[in-house]
Amino acid sequence: MISKKDFIKINDYLWEIPKSFRSDMRVPARIYASEKLLEECFRDESIKQLINVATLPGIVKYSIAMPDIHEGYGFPIGGVAATKYPDGAISPGGVGFDINCGVRLLISNLNNQEIASQLDKLAEEIQKEVPSGLGKGREVKLSTEQINRILEGGAKYLVEKGYGEKEDAENCESYGKLEWAEANYVSEKAKNRGRNQVGTLGSGNHFLEIQKVDQIYNEEIAKEFGLFPNQVVIMIHTGSRGLGHQIATDYLREMVFVMQKYGIRLPDKELACVPFNTKEGERYFNAMCCGANFAWANRQMITFYVRKAWERIIGKEKLTLLYDVAHNIAKIEEHEINGQKMKLIVHRKGATRAFPPEHPELPDRYRKTGQPVIIPGSMGTASYVLVGEEKSKEAWYTVCHGAGRTMSRAKAIKTISGRNVVETLRQKGIIVKCYSFKGVAEEAPQAYKNVDEVVDTVHKAGLSQRVARLVPLAVIKGE
Amino acid sequence: MRKFFEILPHKADLKIKVFGASKKELFLNAMKAMFEAAGIKPEGKVVKRKIKIQSPDILQLLVDFLSEILYLSETENEAYFNIKFKKFSDNTLEGELFGKKIKEQGLIIKGVTYHNLEIRKKKEGYLATILFDV
Repeated sequence: MISKKDFIKINDYLWEIPKSFRSDMRVPARIYASEKLLEECFRDESIKQLINVATLPGIVKYSIAMPDIHEGYGFPIGGVAATKYPDGAISPGGVGFDINCGVRLLISNLNNQEIASQLDKLAEEIQKEVPSGLGKGREVKLSTEQINRILEGGAKYLVEKGYGEKEDAENCESYGKLEWAEANYVSEKAKNRGRNQVGTLGSGNHFLEIQKVDQIYNEEIAKEFGLFPNQVVIMIHTGSRGLGHQIATDYLREMVFVMQKYGIRLPDKELACVPFNTKEGERYFNAMCCGANFAWANRQMITFYVRKAWERIIGKEKLTLLYDVAHNIAKIEEHEINGQKMKLIVHRKGATRAFPPEHPELPDRYRKTGQPVIIPGSMGTASYVLVGEEKSKEAWYTVCHGAGRTMSRAKAIKTISGRNVVETLRQKGIIVKCYSFKGVAEEAPQAYKNVDEVVDTVHKAGLSQRVARLVPLAVIKGE
Repeated sequence: MRKFFEILPHKADLKIKVFGASKKELFLNAMKAMFEAAGIKPEGKVVKRKIKIQSPDILQLLVDFLSEILYLSETENEAYFNIKFKKFSDNTLEGELFGKKIKEQGLIIKGVTYHNLEIRKKKEGYLATILFDV
C-alpha cells in the first residue's frame, strides 16, 4: 500500500515519489496537492497509475499529477507526461478515448438580471438546439469529403464556412486546428461514426451551462478578458464523440501488438506506446490530431447553435468566445530543460495547457495577460477562469481540468437520488434541463472533489492564478 | 436466477465482472451487460446483423467483439440482446446478432480498455473482468 510516508514533501502543494521507489521507474512521480487532497488519493489506484506512467520510455524529468487526480485506466485522470521528441513514447492511453475532450466559455455583455425572465426559455431552447447525440445524432449526415475537411481543418474550417466569428478560431488552443492532422490515417469506421455527430454534446460529465460571474479575483486581468461581476456566460464541455473513440480503439489495438517489436514492456497494457518517430507512432499522432480537430469543430458547431438559440430568445447581443481548451490531448511543444530549449511530446490526460504571458503560441489578445484557462466544476457547483503563470513551467505549463471524481458512478446511482439533486439545485435557483434522473445522480456534486479546494491548490502552487469564479444559473444535459 | 454480471467499484469508469457457463456465453453476457449498464431501452421489431471477427487471442477477441458491437450500436442506433454463433474459437468469431432500435440510452460507452482485462476459467464456467471508458 502506498502512503504519505512514501512521498518527499517538496513544499505544501508538491509531493514526490522518488525514482528508487520501484525498479521500473525511469523518473520520479510528482503530485500537486494539499495534504488533504493527497490523502484522498490513497483511496484508489491513482498513485499506482501515476507511478506506472513514470515507466514510459523517453519520459523526461517526472510524471505529474494535478490535484484533481483520480483513478483512470493506464494514466490516472489528471496525469501529465512529457517524453523526448522525436524518439520518446507516444501513448494513446495518455490521451484517452475522448480525444480533445475540452471546454469553451462564451461571454455576453449582459448581467444575470437582464436575462432573468428569459432564463428558463433560453435553457429550453439551447437544449432543443444541441442534442446529446445519444441514440441518434443530428438530422444531417455529412459526407466523407466534408468529414475529411473537418478532420484537417478543425474549428477554423467551420468558421471559414460561416459557422462562427473570425475570432472564434483564434481564441481556441492551437487556433482550433492541429497541423499534423492527416485524414488518410483515420479509419472509415471512425469517419462514419462522426458523420452526424458534429454539434452534439454526448453523455456522462459533458454539459452545457448558463452561468454568471460570481466573483472576480484579479480585476485587471478580468477586465482584459472582458469579464465583469454578474455577467452571463455559457460553458460548453464536450469532446470528439464516437469519431474520437474509434480512433483511440483502432490505434490502441495496433500499439498493444507492435510495442513488443520495439522491445517495450509496461506494467499496464493500457499504457501501450511506441517511439514517436516510427510509422505507427506518427500515424497515431496524425489521426489523433484529426480527432482533436473534430472536437474543436464539434464545440464550434455547438457554439453556432447556442448563438442561434440566444438570438431567438435574448436578441442581437453578442456571445464572444473567451477561450477553448483541450484537456485530453498529446502535443509537440517546446519547453526549457536545464536552460536548453527542447521539443517534447506532452501528454495531458485530464489536464489543461496554461501558457504564461509572452508565450509565442498565444494570440496577440492574450500575449500580455497569459492564456485563459477554463476549469469546469461538477454539476451545480462553481467553475473557474484562471490565467497561465510562468511558475507552471516546471509542470510543462499545465494545470488541473476540473473537480475530479471521488465517488464511482455506480455508488452515486445507489446512494444519491437524482430527483433530490434537481430539487436541491432548484431551491438554490438553478434550473436543470435533463431527461434522466439517473444521469443527474451520476454527476451529482457529492460524487466529486470540492472544485474550490482543487483550484485553491493550483493557485497556491503557482501553476495558475485565479481570475474569476462562475456559478451556474442553468444546467443543460442535451435531449 | 444468478445475475450474469456485476458492476465493480471504479471512480470514473465502468468496471464489470461477467460470468458465462462457456466462452460463447461469456461473450454474449459481456455484450448484454454492456447494454444493461448503459441504461439502454430497446423498442420495435427485431433486427439481424452479421458479425465476423478475427483476433490473435481470446482477450483481443473479446475487446474486438465488444468494440465492433459499440460501433454497430452507435451507427445503426441498435442494441443487441442475442447472438447465434456460426463459428467460435479463441481467435475467430462469426455469427448473427439479434437486436432492436434504441429508444432510450443513459450513458455512452466510449471504448473497451485493456486495463486489468482478464478471462479466467472457473469450476462453473468462465469469468471476465472488463473496464469500459464512459
